[in-house]
Amino acid sequence: MEQFLQAAVIGVSLGAQYALLALGFTLIFGILGVVNFAHGAFYMLGGYITYSCVMWFGLPYPLGVLVAVLVTAAFGYLFELFLLERLVDDHLATLMLTLGLNLMMSTGLLTAYGPLGMDFAFPVSGAIRLGPIYAPLENMIVLAICLCAIVALWLVLFRTDLGRALRALADDRAVARAQGLRPRLLFPLAFAIATGLAGLTGALVTPILSLAPGVGDPVLATSFLTVILGGLGSLGGAALAAFVVGMVEAYSSVYFGGSVGALILFVLVLLLLVFRPTGLLGREVRGA
Amino acid sequence: MMQQRALLATTTLAFCAAVGVGAAHAQSCELKLGAMGPMSGGGAQWGLAMESAANLAAAEVNAQGGLQIGDKKCKVTVVSYDSKYTADGAAAGSNNFASQGIKFIIGPVGSPEATGIKPVAARNEQIAWNAAYAKDSIQPKFPLMFHVAPGPAAWSPQMVAFVKEKFPMKSVALIAPNDQAGTDVVAVDAESYRANGITTTEEYYQRGTTNFAPIITRLLASKPDVVDTASSPPGDAGVIVKQLRLAGFTGPIGRMGGPGTEEILRVCGGIDVLKDFYWFETVATEDPKVKAIDEQYRKLVGKDPVGGTAMWGDLPAARMTLKAISAAGTMDDVQKVAEALRKLPVDDPNIGKGVWSGQKQYGINQELFFPFGVGIIKDGKNLGVTRIEPAS
Repeated sequence: MEQFLQAAVIGVSLGAQYALLALGFTLIFGILGVVNFAHGAFYMLGGYITYSCVMWFGLPYPLGVLVAVLVTAAFGYLFELFLLERLVDDHLATLMLTLGLNLMMSTGLLTAYGPLGMDFAFPVSGAIRLGPIYAPLENMIVLAICLCAIVALWLVLFRTDLGRALRALADDRAVARAQGLRPRLLFPLAFAIATGLAGLTGALVTPILSLAPGVGDPVLATSFLTVILGGLGSLGGAALAAFVVGMVEAYSSVYFGGSVGALILFVLVLLLLVFRPTGLLGREVRGA
Repeated sequence: MMQQRALLATTTLAFCAAVGVGAAHAQSCELKLGAMGPMSGGGAQWGLAMESAANLAAAEVNAQGGLQIGDKKCKVTVVSYDSKYTADGAAAGSNNFASQGIKFIIGPVGSPEATGIKPVAARNEQIAWNAAYAKDSIQPKFPLMFHVAPGPAAWSPQMVAFVKEKFPMKSVALIAPNDQAGTDVVAVDAESYRANGITTTEEYYQRGTTNFAPIITRLLASKPDVVDTASSPPGDAGVIVKQLRLAGFTGPIGRMGGPGTEEILRVCGGIDVLKDFYWFETVATEDPKVKAIDEQYRKLVGKDPVGGTAMWGDLPAARMTLKAISAAGTMDDVQKVAEALRKLPVDDPNIGKGVWSGQKQYGINQELFFPFGVGIIKDGKNLGVTRIEPAS
């Protein structure tokens, strides 16, 4: 029973982190039709910016997180505006562009910060303990911030004109254009929101786990897996799938070990693709 | 007066020309030494150690005017390759080096890399020094493959007997990646623990795992006295330590695998988090002559070495390779260099005397074995590294 409850706590915590990443990833696909292979690199960049703010410039950690969100969002905005936007309808070109950006960012960070892990810890430590069950305080704080960010994103998308415009572009770009919506103005904003979310996750999670070159690669893989499970382009699906992935990862690793645990997740996605190609909440099979 | 000045100028010019020609002769050829290993990711410290070892060995001979090969003095340069702790990375690295005419490789590091490089380096006729702990790190069918240091089968029984005195234990849980680099080491380590009357449980994880919390929950279910991170890359081991302590585990944490304490301390959050810890060092790192290597590096290479104590253990391989090339008088005939290498006594200026070993475990005597070290951190205090002579 202890293990069962502990796995649930871990699963929720993992799910919240995956949700933030997957929402950004699926937002870009849903609105722009672009698979962003640089998503993991933006996560890594968020971690390194926060590290620099805290360790080099002596800023308080929350301010470092804020700077990381703003910088990653601004970088994403500029990348979309000046590079991606020109080729946004050419799916192969956008794939190569984001893949290239991923390589450039990873190599740039490796060159700037060196290949070894950073001495970077979350400012709050300790755990809430209920008998044998524990919940690290840092994970609880991250969970709260993640849930707030998810709610904020939902409000932006479903309760503002900007959100309505973005969803209209996602639904039918041609009709939305005919109604006077301007993709050139809105696409960079959507990209910035998504990369800002990746930067936020990196800023929050890397001090808890580790900050080193390459930490973005598994993140990219998990984000991809999550949005496929949820249905590419579906925001609700991505959020739901993130918690499913977190729970499956936690329970399968606790009960079957690290090797089988990783396998179970892939089997689950494989089965879903066979029996429900649209994903959990996807409405239609959509090509990139 | 004019004549004297002209004479002085002519003499100076002639002297400069002579020195210049001499220097040009001394550096009339170039020997490229390959350095291979994971230069990024969780095992980066080990790959960078290989590179630093090659850098220092090269700088030492260059400071003497170059490496004497036959009647030439050759400048030694180091070319690095990030094999990313993967078999395909190491195989690609071997081919990359071959395309540059590189026949001598310091590295790679891990078991997957050793598996990948062995057949390719044999085909490319390259001498390579791996540091893998796999059961087949070196094999008679790959006679150009050498071993930087022995695997745990050679030193883990002695190490367990030593640490048991410091940290009394009845049960140990071992955790490592689920590939050959992890399973081979854990199997040997577990056998050594059991031979000392300690029960063991084993847990494996997929390489690339970033959050170990679920695996740690499973691991701690067996309520072990000690958790041993075995051959987990230092970056992974740092996260494991951090999450073990968060999960409330207060027992000692061991590491009967590759060195990497510096990186583990950095990632886990410091010595107060690590608290009780023991680890293996390939050489006796408390020896002042061994410690002096870092200063030599700064003096000759002009920057700080990277790779921590692992670099000290890799250095003899790099030095001996250059010595063997010089002794063979060729950098083209690899078989002749390998033959010269096998005949060299194991005696490093910093590390001291060692022996060629490997016949018993691998069937081939191509492994360097020096007195090794076991480090202890107790109650958050670093008690240093104790030198242990290999059992005869």
